[in-house]
Amino acid sequence: MITLKIDGREINAEPGKTVLEAARENNIYIPTLCVNEAVAAYGACRLCMVEVTRGNRKRLVASCLYEVAEGLVVETRTERVVNIRRLVMELLLARCPNSSEVIEMARSMGIDSSRFQSEEDDNSCVLCALCTRVCREVVGKSAISLVGRGTNRKVALPFCEDTDACIACGSCVYVCPTGAIKMEDNGDVRRITWPSSTHEFKMKKCASCGSYFAPEKQISFMIQKTGLEAEKFDLCMNCRP
Amino acid sequence: MIGQSVYVPRLLPELESLAPGHRACIGCGEVLAMRQAFKAIGRDAIVVNATGCMEIIASQLPYTSWRLPWIHTLFENTAAVASGVEAGLKAMYRKGRYSRPDTKIVAVAGDGGTVDIGLQALSGALERGHNLLYICFDNEGYMNTGIQRSSATPYGASTTTSPAGKESIGQFSWKKDLPGIAVAHRIPYVATACPSYPVDLIEKVKKGVDTRGPAYIHIFSGCPTGWGCATNLTVRLGRLAVETGIFPLYEVENGKYTMSYKPEKLRPITDYMKPQRRFRHLTDDAVEMIEKRVAVEYYKLLEKAECQK
Repeated sequence: MITLKIDGREINAEPGKTVLEAARENNIYIPTLCVNEAVAAYGACRLCMVEVTRGNRKRLVASCLYEVAEGLVVETRTERVVNIRRLVMELLLARCPNSSEVIEMARSMGIDSSRFQSEEDDNSCVLCALCTRVCREVVGKSAISLVGRGTNRKVALPFCEDTDACIACGSCVYVCPTGAIKMEDNGDVRRITWPSSTHEFKMKKCASCGSYFAPEKQISFMIQKTGLEAEKFDLCMNCRP
Repeated sequence: MIGQSVYVPRLLPELESLAPGHRACIGCGEVLAMRQAFKAIGRDAIVVNATGCMEIIASQLPYTSWRLPWIHTLFENTAAVASGVEAGLKAMYRKGRYSRPDTKIVAVAGDGGTVDIGLQALSGALERGHNLLYICFDNEGYMNTGIQRSSATPYGASTTTSPAGKESIGQFSWKKDLPGIAVAHRIPYVATACPSYPVDLIEKVKKGVDTRGPAYIHIFSGCPTGWGCATNLTVRLGRLAVETGIFPLYEVENGKYTMSYKPEKLRPITDYMKPQRRFRHLTDDAVEMIEKRVAVEYYKLLEKAECQK
């Protein structure tokens, strides 16, 4: 066990944990947008910045990437930290002026408007890459990725075209912190809208009750992954024995 | 929103506030709902727990399953104690003796402790506008004391105090609409949920604890012991209750109704009733009558959601 100090509180943490994890275990609030325990830390949103003192050196670090160390002194609410968080939040607010999640988060920090000019197009993607990381690390498909650079960077399928890579499982929709990816089931079609393009996927019909229960591509991915016969996936959840 | 990804379970918070090793029955839907709910609530919370299944299974002296500060209260005063905790914390924060303004107060009770015995305390807490979340785990009866009827027991269900027989059809009255009563208090957030739809449940609880002011969530949770069904059917029965329209999932934000799940057409009610012993005595006429009533209630609700769009 390592002993460190966060906001003046002595805290014990296991070696290898990040400052953010140690703080959350002890009910110390640090805002984040790009963190999920299921995937590796990435440090995209920069909202989790904290001030770290080690010896005589004081500096700002992203707490989701910074590992705990013996004798570390962490401050989560100094003026410097609040200022940088404010800047990051205002930049996000200028990028996503219509995202209710971003607006709500800004409001909880006491920010109503941004000093930067708002982007005009209806964009709520903060490029945290949670969707692409989940697609790679949890689903294991790597169907979507971040393409382009600078202001043109966006989440997209390869060449923004229909491919066999995406199984339409909807993990990216669930994990998106700002609701930038949308999914809609309408009869036999599942429509997923990424910031770059919209694609439609065919749904599979239950052999017994006739309701559409999962995308066909997802079922074939499951068949391949589990090595079971295709008949095992013919029935929806309610009709399975 | 309900037909979420197959991978979602792996993306949910790993934190468990309820330790394993408690004494819930096999196939308990209530403890499943509790686990899911507390994934959304997190660690910075104080739990006020009424007498009921969830209290006795998790607090066998000298052990406890709770990894959160927890108070056991009586049936009738859960909401009152939760109000007191909230008011006390607020006062301590004001005087500088407590540092976290966002500690969540969660009151947890069964249907007996909510719809029958604890109703006046709940009504008072909702009316005074305390910043708390009240969760009712509804298994449609007093299951831990020996399956007595409560006013949440549905019409026709056979329990030990409403036994079916020559003279009686079982429970003689219709299920009390407690979410409706909560909505009538004009509180900011009311929702119904079911552990068969975990993502939906977790999202609703998250919304509920983040609401400023009182929030009420009614969770329909299966009870194989009391309902007389196979222990592997809890989750499926929850799903069937939603798909037959017996327990529609909806939320009411500041008086605005939204359906969380709209089945394309309602399933026949027998799908839900057949696996349960408590409905075994019902004749076809009785089932048809119940089905009609369920449809009326369901479409009434649907209309409320439609007209406010």
